[in-house]
Amino acid sequence: MTGRAVTQHPMTPRPMTLARLTSPGAAVPATLAPAPTFDLEGVLASIDTMAAQKPVAAQIVSVANSDDTSAAALAQILAADVALASRVMKLANSAYFGMRGRVTSLQFAVTVVGFTTVRTMATVAVTDLDDESRLPADFWRTSTSVALAASTLAPRFGERPQDALCLGLLAPLGVALLHHNDQEGYAELSAAEPTATGRRAAEVRRYGIHAYRLTAVALEQWGFARSMVAPLAAVDDLSDGDAGLLRAALELAARLTVADHQAVPMERLTRGLLREDAVPPVMDRVRAEAEELRLAMLGQ
Amino acid sequence: MSAPTVPAEPLVSPDIVSSIFYGAAVSDTLVLLVAEMVGGTARITWCNEGATQLLGYGLEDLRTLPVSALVPTLRGGEVKLLLRRERSARMNLPVRTASGALVEVVVLCTPSPSGRMWTLRLVPATNDSERALRATADAHERRFATLTERSPVPTLLSEQGMRLAHVNDAFCSLVGLQAEQLLGTGWMATVHPEDLDGVIEQVVAVLGGGDGEATARLVREDGTERTTVIRFAHLFTPGVGAGFVGTIEDITDRLAFEARLAHQANHDPLTGLPNRTLLAEHVAGRFTPGGSGLACLFLDLDNFKVVNDSLGHAAGDELLVEIADRLRSTVRPGDLVARFGGDEFVVVCEGVEEADAVTVAERIGAALAEPVRLGGVDVRPHASVGVTVQTDEHTAAEELIRDCDIAMYQAKAGGKGRITVLDQQARAEARDKLRLVAELRTAIERRDITLLYQPIFSTADRSSVAVESLARWEHAERGAISPATFVALAEESGLIGPLGLLVLDETCRQLAEWDAELGAAAPQRANVNVSALQLDGNLHPQVVAALARHRLHPSRLSIEITESALMKDPASARAVLTQLRDLGVQLAIDDFGTGYSSLAHLRHLPVDCLKVDRSFVAELGQGHTEIASAVIALAENLGLTTVAEGVETAEQAEQLAALGAGFLQGFSLAQPMTGERTAAWFAARAR
Repeated sequence: MTGRAVTQHPMTPRPMTLARLTSPGAAVPATLAPAPTFDLEGVLASIDTMAAQKPVAAQIVSVANSDDTSAAALAQILAADVALASRVMKLANSAYFGMRGRVTSLQFAVTVVGFTTVRTMATVAVTDLDDESRLPADFWRTSTSVALAASTLAPRFGERPQDALCLGLLAPLGVALLHHNDQEGYAELSAAEPTATGRRAAEVRRYGIHAYRLTAVALEQWGFARSMVAPLAAVDDLSDGDAGLLRAALELAARLTVADHQAVPMERLTRGLLREDAVPPVMDRVRAEAEELRLAMLGQ
Repeated sequence: MSAPTVPAEPLVSPDIVSSIFYGAAVSDTLVLLVAEMVGGTARITWCNEGATQLLGYGLEDLRTLPVSALVPTLRGGEVKLLLRRERSARMNLPVRTASGALVEVVVLCTPSPSGRMWTLRLVPATNDSERALRATADAHERRFATLTERSPVPTLLSEQGMRLAHVNDAFCSLVGLQAEQLLGTGWMATVHPEDLDGVIEQVVAVLGGGDGEATARLVREDGTERTTVIRFAHLFTPGVGAGFVGTIEDITDRLAFEARLAHQANHDPLTGLPNRTLLAEHVAGRFTPGGSGLACLFLDLDNFKVVNDSLGHAAGDELLVEIADRLRSTVRPGDLVARFGGDEFVVVCEGVEEADAVTVAERIGAALAEPVRLGGVDVRPHASVGVTVQTDEHTAAEELIRDCDIAMYQAKAGGKGRITVLDQQARAEARDKLRLVAELRTAIERRDITLLYQPIFSTADRSSVAVESLARWEHAERGAISPATFVALAEESGLIGPLGLLVLDETCRQLAEWDAELGAAAPQRANVNVSALQLDGNLHPQVVAALARHRLHPSRLSIEITESALMKDPASARAVLTQLRDLGVQLAIDDFGTGYSSLAHLRHLPVDCLKVDRSFVAELGQGHTEIASAVIALAENLGLTTVAEGVETAEQAEQLAALGAGFLQGFSLAQPMTGERTAAWFAARAR
C-alpha cells in the first residue's frame, strides 16, 4: 500500500468525521473566500525553517529511524535539548508506560518510550506543536485521543501499538500547519464543514491538499516509515485496509471529543475488522489516559 | 531531513559532463527522467534507457508525457509536492507504466538551479531479494505468533516499557479477562498491588538487558488469587526500542502442596496441632533474653495409659483428639497449643504474668474435666499442669519449655490433677541435678567412680569366701556422694549402662589382679550389683566380655539383683538370669524381703542365693527374729544359700549363725576397703 490517490467519496454517506475545531452551531458561510496567497510550498519550506531553529530535535528526527540507532546514541543527542529530554523522561515515567517513576536515566527513558516515540516528540518540538497557543482549540485533546485509540486498537489490525500511537499523535500535524499559515481562513473552513470528509474536500479546494495528506508529505520528507505515511494519504479510501486503524481511531476520538458528533459505524470504517461492541472498553481506556498523555507530551 | 539542493560545480570539464551524461543515458539500472514546465504543465522531456525499460513507453511517447500521468496518485496541486523549486523531494509513489500497471517506486526529485527543470530518479521500492527476506521474516513472526497463541504457557509480550502489545489465550484464561482489557498497561491491574513494585523492578532490569524473574500474585476477575513466577526475557527490536517477553508459571498448586508438606512436617497428624519442632520454633521466635510475659504450660494427662490399656488405642486416640479440640477452644486467641508427644501438650501464651498463666491453666483444667464418652464409658480426663513464666534467669527458649516440664513433674508428684508453678527453689534443684548428671557422666568416663570391696564370711568357719563390689563417688566439691543418690541419678539420666559396665569391668580387673598377687589366697568370688535397667539382652554378652577380657572363670562372679528389679518384668528377668546361670555365674537376690515378691515367682527364678536385708538383721537386736528367720528358712527350703547383710555386732553374727544363715557381711566383720587394702587384708588372713 501506498500513496494512493486522495480521492473523495461524495456518494458515501458520512464516511467518517473528525473532531471539529470550532464549536458546534457556529455560523456556516455559504462560500469561502479564496485563499489569495496560500503557498503550499511555502508551508513545507517553513518546516525546514522551524527545523533550523531547533537543531537538536531536527537531528533526532533524522537519526531516530535508522536501524542501527542505539538508545545510548539517541540519549546523547537528546541530552543537548533539556526541554525535550525532560519531556521524554516525564513520558517514560507517566502512567501510560506504567513504570511508576522507575525511569531515572535518559537512556533508559529512550528505551522505555521507544525510538519512534522519541522521534515523534522531536517532530512535535520541531513543528511547534508543543505551543498550544499556536494551535487550534482542543488540538492535543483530540490528538492524544486519536493516538491512544490507535495504540489500543493496533493489535486487532496487526499493527505495532507504539507506531500507531505515534501515527495518531502526528496525524493532525497538517491541521496545525494549515491553521498556523492561514488561521482565519482555516477556522472558517472548519466551521463551514461539520463532517471530516467535507472538510478535507474543502481543504483540497482551498490549499490544493488536505491536512492528513499534508502530514503525510511532511513525514515522508523526514523519512518516517511508509507504514506511518501511507494510512494518512489513504484515510478517505474506504477500500484501503491499511488506513482502517487510523479511521477507527479518528472516529473513536471524535466520539469522545466532539459534543454533537454523529457516529459512523466502525464496521464500515474498518472493513468489518472492528465491531461496535468492542468499542466501549477502548473508549473507557482512552478517556482515562488521554489527559495524562497530553501532559506528558507537553512536558507539563 | 533532506539536504538543500547544491548548485553543480561550475568548473567541470565538458568532457566529463558528456561522459557522465552518456553513462546515465544508456544505463539500464538507473532510471532517470527529466521534467520541465511546458505551457504551464509539468511534462517529461527526457528519459534514459532504464526508464523506457521500467515504464515500457516508447522514447517519443515518454518525452511528452505529463508528470501527473506518470504519478496518478498525485492529484490536483499535489504534483508540486514532488516538483519542489527550492529543495529535493522524496516520495514513495506508484508510477503508471505504458500497460496501465502501477509499479511502486521511490521517486527522488532534484530541481535544477534554475528551478524550471527537475531530474527524477526512480528506484523500485523493493527488489525480489528484499521481498523474499520480508516474506521469511513475516513467516517467522507468524510462526512465533502461532506458537505463543496456542501455547499453554501464559505469555506476555511488551514492545515498550510495561505496555503489552500481546497476550496469549493462556494468560487471558489465567486471569479471566479478555486480551483488550490486558493490553497496554491493563494487565498491571491484575498484579496484586503489593507485588507490583517487584514486577516493575524486574522489568526495569530486563529492559536494560538480561533476564529476570519475579514472584507475583495475579488477581483474577472473580477476585481469587493465583501465585505465579513471571520470567522475563529482554526483547530488542532494532529501530524501535526495548521490551520483554514474559512467561508465567502458576505455582499456586505447587505452593499449596509444599505448604501441606510443611504443615505435615510441623504438625501432629492425629490432632492437627503443631508438633514439638514447631513449638520450639514458636517459642524461640518469641523469646528474647531479659524479656518477660512469655509463659509455657506443660500438660500431661493423668491415667492416659489406663484408657489406652482398658479401652484400646483407638479410644486413646479419640481422647487425644478431644483434648486437642478442648485446648484449642479454651486458650486465648494467639496462644499456641502444641502436642509435645504422647499424652503431653504445651500451651504458649504471650503478654501474661504468672497469675494470668495460672488462670489459663485453671480454665484448661476445668474444660478438660468435662466427661468424654469413649467406648460407652464416661471418662473424666485430668491433667497435671506445670506452669513457667519467663524470668531473667531464662537465657534460652528451651529452658522455658524444660522448666514447665519440671513443674509438670512436680505437679504430678504432688498428686494428679494439679497445677504447679515452677518456683525458684525447684528450678535451682532441677538445675543442680542437671549439673550433677553432667558431672556423673564425666566421672564415669574418667573412671573417677571407684570401687570398695567388703568381704563376705562363711558362718561355718568365719573364713572369707567372697567380696561385694561397692561403687563410690568422691565428688571434688561435694565430697562423697551416696550410691543411693548417684545410682538413682544414673538410672534417670540413661547413665546406668556405662556405670554398670564400669563396675563389672573394674571388679573383674581387680579379681585378676588379686589372683596375680595372692594366688590361692585371693578372694574366690566378687558380687556385683546390677540395676533393674541393666536386665536386658545386653547383660549376658557384657558379662561374657568382661570375664574373657580378664581371663576369669564365670564362677568367680556373682550378680546381685534387687528383688524389686526382678518383679518389674519377671518373664524377661528370668530369661536374662537363665542365660547367666547357664554361663556359670552365680545369682543372688539383694535386699530380699523388702519387695513383696511373689514366692511363686521366686521358686522359678534360677538364683543361688538370697541376701537378707539389713533392716531385718537390725531387728534382731530388738528381739525380732521372725522375718530373718523366715527368710533363712525359706532359702533353705528352696535350696538356696543366704547372706545376711548389715551385721553390726558379734551378737547379731551369732544369732544369724544360729538361725542357719550361710554367710555374713557387715561393718563389724569387715568394712569396705580399696582393692589394695583388700589384697593386704586377704594376705594377712591367709597367714
